[in-house]
Amino acid sequence: MIMEANRKLGVNWIGLNTMVRREVSRMMRVPIQAFVAPWISALLFIFIFGFVVGGRIDQIGGHRYLEFVLPGIVMMNVVNAAFLQSSSAIYFSRFIRFIEETLVAPLSYAEMIAGSLSVVVLRASVTGVGILVMGVCFGAAHVQSWPLLLFWLVSVSAVFGLLGIIVGLWSKSFEQLNMPVVFFLTPLSMVGGVFNTVEMLPAWLRWLAWANPFFYFINGIRGAMIGFDETPPGLGIGLTLISLVVLGGTVWRLYAKGYGLRE
Amino acid sequence: MSPPALKITNLRKVYRRGTVAVEDISLSIPEGEFFGFLGPNGAGKSTTIHCVTGIAEPSAGTIEIFGMDAVKDYREARRLVGLCPQEFNVDPFANPRQIVDWMGGYFGMGAAQRKSRVDFLMERFELIPHQKKQFRELSGGLKRRVVLARALVHDPQLIILDEPTAGVDVELRRVLWRYLAEINKDGKTILLTSHYLEEVERLCRQIAIVSKGRIAREGTKDEIAGGPGGLEQAYLAATGAEADHVAGQ
Repeated sequence: MIMEANRKLGVNWIGLNTMVRREVSRMMRVPIQAFVAPWISALLFIFIFGFVVGGRIDQIGGHRYLEFVLPGIVMMNVVNAAFLQSSSAIYFSRFIRFIEETLVAPLSYAEMIAGSLSVVVLRASVTGVGILVMGVCFGAAHVQSWPLLLFWLVSVSAVFGLLGIIVGLWSKSFEQLNMPVVFFLTPLSMVGGVFNTVEMLPAWLRWLAWANPFFYFINGIRGAMIGFDETPPGLGIGLTLISLVVLGGTVWRLYAKGYGLRE
Repeated sequence: MSPPALKITNLRKVYRRGTVAVEDISLSIPEGEFFGFLGPNGAGKSTTIHCVTGIAEPSAGTIEIFGMDAVKDYREARRLVGLCPQEFNVDPFANPRQIVDWMGGYFGMGAAQRKSRVDFLMERFELIPHQKKQFRELSGGLKRRVVLARALVHDPQLIILDEPTAGVDVELRRVLWRYLAEINKDGKTILLTSHYLEEVERLCRQIAIVSKGRIAREGTKDEIAGGPGGLEQAYLAATGAEADHVAGQ
């Protein structure tokens, strides 16, 4: 046994799989919070903006208003699901201290991060696909490019999953945990082009859209779904990949330093 | 000659706010030893254990587990250690079976191996009637059993027990003592901290007494507890505490 332990360990696949199993089990304890709440909220958005308000708005780029809005609704919920999953999982495990179970185990930092992100992508994708199914029921969901749709779902989930990990490690109270959602995620996603094109904004306010990272995520998924792009497609993809690398490196560094994890 | 199960050299731990929890601790525990680690609250026992197991980051010094550096080769080293912590660091909504099974998974045990080991531990610690209850619904003694089972699931070579019998009834304490003696006989190395001196005296062959972040005294049980007043007197003398004149009558 000791001789065996002297061997350098490869990837701990079983450990990684256990992290995913465990987090899925935790997530399934609160299915209403995890899935039903965002689906109901999306349904209300679809109803109000698709039928109540949308009927009075002209087509945008040859698309019905509901078709234009739906990708943004998907993206808003994907972002929220990803952020809430990782931030609450990390914070709760720190708060109760069962994060120590993974600290004493033979898991590398990369495995710990990959385990968390796998569940983030799973939850965000199930949330997003659920809303797409609703869109199909309302005749508003179209997919121009499945690979691009998959790219946006997975990469944006990962970006906000990583941000959620950072916030989960930094927070010292539930109040702090909720601050980014209230002051950052909700406002920026609302003004990130879910409901309007950049052209609809007054000229002096358009810089706000260009400076808002959510605009590129929403624009990207809209391009994948209905082929309506307001920026060159490569720009959003490039920004997303850079965000992934920067945030991934930051989270890895925080794990290696034990920030928020180790005493 | 095989390396010691645990070798700590000049360990120092200073917390971020400047509190010095461990000043300078060095000790070596041979393989197969039953080692008692004593000291008053705040002496640095738990912090030392946390540094060994990866819960805390050492500020200075080295820690080797069966010859492997616990910081540089932490994954290889941690495979050999099982920790039963002083506090319940457990998901309160999970059930005992899940808690023990997940820990086995973290240590890379396959599904069949985990099932048989979890079955054994549930049986051994009389947890079968409670294995599907949420952890938060269990009594203090049952919670302690779950945490012990979790520490042992991957059959570690070095078992670290941080006050495992605190708040536990006499029956469980005896069950635990028998089990620890048995696995120690099978070659497992055990590091035990406890405030129950009779427990340490009964189980351990080597003892170290920590005071103010340093080893105040170390030796075999006979060397330390063999003098007048036994282990209690030795402990009080090493930690600088005064003997209770009533108890001393």
